[in-house]
Amino acid sequence: MLLILVLAPFAGSLAAICIPTQKGTAAAWLAGSIALLCLVISAGLYTVISSGTPLRYDAAWLPELGLNLTLRMDGFAWMFASLVAAIGLLVVIYARYYMSASDPVPRFFALFLAFMGAMLGVVLSGNLILLAIFWELTSIISFLLIGYWHHNANARDGARMALTVTGTGGLCMFVGLMLIGHIVGSYDLDVVLSSGNVIRDHPLYTTVLILILLGVLTKSAQFPFHFWLPHAMAAPTPVSAYLHSATLVKAGVFLLTRLWPVMAGTDEWFWIVGLAGLTTLLLGAYFAIFQQDLKGLLAYSTISHLGLITVLLSLGSPLAAVAAIFHTMNHATFKASLFMAAGIIDHETGTRDMRRLSGLFRYMPITATLAMVASASMAGVPLLNGFLSKEMFFAEAIETHKYNILDTLTPYVATIASMFAVTYSIRFIHSVFFGPPPQDLPKVPHEPPHWMLAPIYFLVFSCLVVGVIPALTIGPFLHTAVQSVLGIATPVYSLAVWHGWNLPLFMSLIALVCGVGLFLVMKPYLTTSIEGPPFFRRLEGQRIFERVLVTLSWKWARSIEMRAGTRRLQPQMRILVAVALVAAAVTLLLQGFKPAAIAFRSIDPAFALIWLIGMICAIGAAYQAKFHRLAALVLLGGAGLVTCLTFVWLSAPDLAATQLLVEIVTTVLILLGLRWLPKRIENPDDPELMTISTRLRRLRDLATAVFAGIGMMLISYTVMTRELPETISSYFLERAYSEGGGTNVVNVILVDFRGFDTLGEIAVLCIVALTVFALLLRFRPATESLETPEQQRVQNAFDDDHPDRKKGDSIAEYLLVPSVIMRWMFPVIGMLAAFLFFRGHDLPGGGFAAGIAMSIAFILQYMAGGTRWVEERLRIHPLRWMAIGLLVATATGLGSWLFGYPFLTSHAQYASLPVLGKIPLATAILFDLGVFALVLGATVLILIALAHQSVRAPRAQMRAAKMAAKENA
Amino acid sequence: MAASSSSIDLSAALVLEPVAALDWLVILPVAWCIGIGAILMMVRHQGRLQPLIAVAALCVLVGLDSALLWHVAGEGPVTMVMGRWLPPFGIAFTVDLTGALFALVAAIVALAGAVAAITDIDASGRRYGFYPCLMLLMAGVSGAFLTGDIFNLYVWFEVLLISSFGLLVLGGERQQIDGAVKYGFLNLVATTLFLIATGYLYGIFGTLNMADIARKAPLLKETAPLVTLTALYLFAFGMKAAAFPVNFWLPASYHTPRIVVSALFAGLLTKVGVYALIRVLILLFPVERLALSPVLSVVAVLTMITGALGALAQSDTRRVLGYLVISGIGAMLAGLAVGGPDAIAGTIFYALHSMLVMTALYLAAGLAARTAGGFSLQTLGGIHHNHVLLSGVSLVLFFAVSGLPPFSGFWPKVILVKAALAGEHWWLAATVLLTGLLTLIVTGRVYLLAYWRPAGNAATDVPVALPATAFMPLLVLTALSIVIGLYPEPLLDLVRGAALTLDAPAAYLDSVFPQGGAP
Repeated sequence: MLLILVLAPFAGSLAAICIPTQKGTAAAWLAGSIALLCLVISAGLYTVISSGTPLRYDAAWLPELGLNLTLRMDGFAWMFASLVAAIGLLVVIYARYYMSASDPVPRFFALFLAFMGAMLGVVLSGNLILLAIFWELTSIISFLLIGYWHHNANARDGARMALTVTGTGGLCMFVGLMLIGHIVGSYDLDVVLSSGNVIRDHPLYTTVLILILLGVLTKSAQFPFHFWLPHAMAAPTPVSAYLHSATLVKAGVFLLTRLWPVMAGTDEWFWIVGLAGLTTLLLGAYFAIFQQDLKGLLAYSTISHLGLITVLLSLGSPLAAVAAIFHTMNHATFKASLFMAAGIIDHETGTRDMRRLSGLFRYMPITATLAMVASASMAGVPLLNGFLSKEMFFAEAIETHKYNILDTLTPYVATIASMFAVTYSIRFIHSVFFGPPPQDLPKVPHEPPHWMLAPIYFLVFSCLVVGVIPALTIGPFLHTAVQSVLGIATPVYSLAVWHGWNLPLFMSLIALVCGVGLFLVMKPYLTTSIEGPPFFRRLEGQRIFERVLVTLSWKWARSIEMRAGTRRLQPQMRILVAVALVAAAVTLLLQGFKPAAIAFRSIDPAFALIWLIGMICAIGAAYQAKFHRLAALVLLGGAGLVTCLTFVWLSAPDLAATQLLVEIVTTVLILLGLRWLPKRIENPDDPELMTISTRLRRLRDLATAVFAGIGMMLISYTVMTRELPETISSYFLERAYSEGGGTNVVNVILVDFRGFDTLGEIAVLCIVALTVFALLLRFRPATESLETPEQQRVQNAFDDDHPDRKKGDSIAEYLLVPSVIMRWMFPVIGMLAAFLFFRGHDLPGGGFAAGIAMSIAFILQYMAGGTRWVEERLRIHPLRWMAIGLLVATATGLGSWLFGYPFLTSHAQYASLPVLGKIPLATAILFDLGVFALVLGATVLILIALAHQSVRAPRAQMRAAKMAAKENA
Repeated sequence: MAASSSSIDLSAALVLEPVAALDWLVILPVAWCIGIGAILMMVRHQGRLQPLIAVAALCVLVGLDSALLWHVAGEGPVTMVMGRWLPPFGIAFTVDLTGALFALVAAIVALAGAVAAITDIDASGRRYGFYPCLMLLMAGVSGAFLTGDIFNLYVWFEVLLISSFGLLVLGGERQQIDGAVKYGFLNLVATTLFLIATGYLYGIFGTLNMADIARKAPLLKETAPLVTLTALYLFAFGMKAAAFPVNFWLPASYHTPRIVVSALFAGLLTKVGVYALIRVLILLFPVERLALSPVLSVVAVLTMITGALGALAQSDTRRVLGYLVISGIGAMLAGLAVGGPDAIAGTIFYALHSMLVMTALYLAAGLAARTAGGFSLQTLGGIHHNHVLLSGVSLVLFFAVSGLPPFSGFWPKVILVKAALAGEHWWLAATVLLTGLLTLIVTGRVYLLAYWRPAGNAATDVPVALPATAFMPLLVLTALSIVIGLYPEPLLDLVRGAALTLDAPAAYLDSVFPQGGAP
């Protein structure tokens, strides 16, 4: 049953979303029946609850997290649940007539029902985390409900403020609840409620208390977090009537009461809760007097009344707790009805401004009467329910609980606040219903539809009945609720209307009389004054809130972004290298880094010299990269060659051959690309550009680079001077032939042992080619690099000077002999590639080397004949070659599935072929074929992409010329 | 040859028994992606065919990964050694729950991206290789999640780096090239550092197999500079994951490409970095992680805070989301800083949630831009009025990313906070929650300005029809977030299982070395 109680509203909410926008009435019926269902269920459960044992529903949900779907209903929860359902039902009836057809009404009811579900969830949760979840849900849905009229800027701001404030509080409370779980060892509410001493004696108690109070005080709009509630009044009135009188804001008080047995009674509790409550009580009431907006007045009055409840709970005496629970109920009834009345007034007159309203009694006498009774209850007039709980409050305020100033102050503050309450209650009634007939209202006022009044009838009636015969009506329910909270500590209390002539009654009388007097004094000022109380107007919480937000988002966030999030590349690289350096250095030093002593062993002078050259080349390349690209590239080639020589020196002919081929191809391709880069205009040696800061900057960069290099060297040194572990390379050497079926270890590693890495790497190559291709196709060179190269211009000039020559002849004849030879080289290189490919498994070579070699053949053709000449003669589909290569390699890997072996298992075999002789035919060779096709395709694709630039360049030149002509004209 | 081979004991080097068909699931995701990528390259000019093939292939990929997850959940970690060489010699693909979970979610994200791309990527984008790059990106991502060999991991990192670069420059706008250059340079540095670290690692351990390293690390921790090595990995992967202070590449590049590409990046790239961090810090070097834990905590806190504050300072929705990705990474790092099965479970859960939700958020931003014309918060408006469904979905995502219940972001936060409290890392717990709050403020601001506020100019204030292919992926991802939020139990079980395997890797080692292993 409990599960249905919680889930039914959510189900209804889902159903309501599906109702088309125009059918508002259907949605209202749905919402009403769901609310009724909840009410009936909780009413039906009363007999079980009243016996004293709480009703539990347990379902394992996330036991590892200590989170079970535990619902728990005791008397207190029952009281709240019934309140939520009952007022929910009334508000639905009210809203059915309040909401205008032009709004998406089903969405309203969907949110409304979801809120009801969340609220029931908060009330019925038997697990702290579950409670926190529902708590956050109420924040979320209230955000949506407040912002329901989202086209209104006030509604948006109010919604955001409510969400931010209550959301923050909710998070704090969540941590607090988790800490309680951490302390107690369980999140189960029953366990927590029975371990009050453990919590109170724990060193974390104060932290927990503050965190939970942050949640409670924000939710219940207590000082200093009260400011969101008046702004939330931009919500449709049914929302205010439900959320801001009976449910949402009461959630804080609910939790405070719920945890009262385990947390109350300490000095911290008394001071924090009491101070917040008293301040809120007084300030809320004071501010309420000065509101001009009807709902604003009610909002501040709500704040004040919640403060009253908080003060009661802070006192830590059982009798005060009884009063708190009682007042919670009473406040819900009269405040909901007052909100509804305010909504009716707004609905029927078109304004809520008390300066414009007056004399409405003659137009809507019924509404006026009802509102008068309700506000009399709010003011604490005898024979109404507000009076009863207020008397209890006074009685408790007089009692001494702790010996300190706060406790002494309480009765005085209580009387003054009560006096203010009388004043604003009178003001509410007087300024709206009495006085001269209203002038120029947006609408002509009249009584609302009967059903819109019905909920108010009911609420006001219950105010009266409870006020007159409390013991017979609310008595037993209250008793059940109180007992479930206080248990054996339940005090003896009496709900009688008449307690005799005692101090609380005098306080009430003083408050009533002085309140009326205050109203009479203030009346002239209030009828014309602007919104908000004097002096405090400027010190609004809202302003502080907004200032904080702005500071956070614009000042702090911006400045952090300015400092940390640079948008330029160079500083980023600098930070990067520095962080890496620090990361390595610090850890090395902390570990007590002791590199082995350097031992010079016969260093070959020739080898050292090669390396020296290599190093100079590398440094030179880095130095020249910015100023002289060609020189840098040449030096880079030098460094590459030294690497290549090193491989030869260390007996790795295979790597050497591959490295050499790769060096050649990359250098050529980069050279081809260099032509399209714009020239640097800046002169590196220009003394004017070399300011001190530039020099310093460069020096710093140099230092970073040097340190990074030294660091790398040190780590390498440490690692290399360690005893060599048993590595897998020795294994590779042993097994290459016996099980890999090849004597060239490098190739066997590539295609067999670590063939999978190769597959990945060729995929990389493939994408690189594709990306280069895509980039270059969209690439439009800078105008200054569009002009014909100097050499061609000289040659063309030569042709122009000689009448027997046509333009372009010299270019065609230029390097004629080499180009013929280059053309002839094509088949030769092809043969070489084939040779490299087939012998790859046993001797230096392999698919990769072969592919690169073959691509050199293509490069030569392009260089010798030009792009058009080659493409007229050869069908080149490098993309297709790449794709096929990738497919073949993958398919070879998958092929071993057929034999029941893992991916990429090689099958070694030798085959005797005519002419070629005996060649190794490991299945790895198929894989190698794939590598070959892909490498070839990728290289050629890049080549083509570069070559097509020159085809497109003449067109671009023409375009540039046209532009220039246009500009001249 | 035949004679000599008979004298060798094959069983010491080779897998002899045939591989069970189900074990092929380990390798299939990668092989499938590469193969489809190759086919897509061939049909470069068939603009209509490409998305069909890609979407179908990614559906299959989701199927494969689900089957793999199911297999691993039932059998424990599964290993397949390439070329039947016994580990540590051959490259091992070892899949545990962590890898399988990440791979599955990545596949879902990619599928969503591929469907959304049908209308977002134009014909030229297709011709220049959006779909092949996507498939190869997925090959890289899946490979990274499934491999059990650290050098092989490097290879997949390269694959995904280069394919992401390819996706990033697609279209070739000036701004894109600018972002891509930064992205490329900075990431290449990180990848190079990864390679260097791996070189050192090989120098120390003489092996590249992760399981092998994991079991040898305790023996070497006295003598070898393992903390330095771990720090280098932390740096390299931290940069991939976009951890403070090496995360500038992300805000510099994520807002430049087509929105689908941003969505894919948000879902896939940084999470691979997080995954690699999990592997290295938890599986390989748990002792060294403990030594680095204070550093990790500081990094996590700063990443979270700067991410959230950075998001607050932006006025372009895509940049806002970029910073939110970063702050999420901080939360994952917090889990790593805390350590222990609970915190790791939190990290994994958070990563999975973030993959789904961040992708969805970018897709939503893309749709919002389509309806309201742009990404700037100054001009956006009226979306709620014109597209209630989009508005609702976005709101759910906003709450999910802020970690509010009952959406997917809530649970990982609960787990992380709980673990941090249990480990007495008060600051981490506080920061995780504070970040949630800041995120809420950020998303609240976006929602208010872009969705609730009426449209500024009448031109954009007309409902634009959104194509179903663009909307559906968003809906599905959001639905997943809600389902995980409401019914987190199955995922939570998986994640906890994954974390337990990582924390006490006996099962993982057993899967690689069934007999206890040779060396």
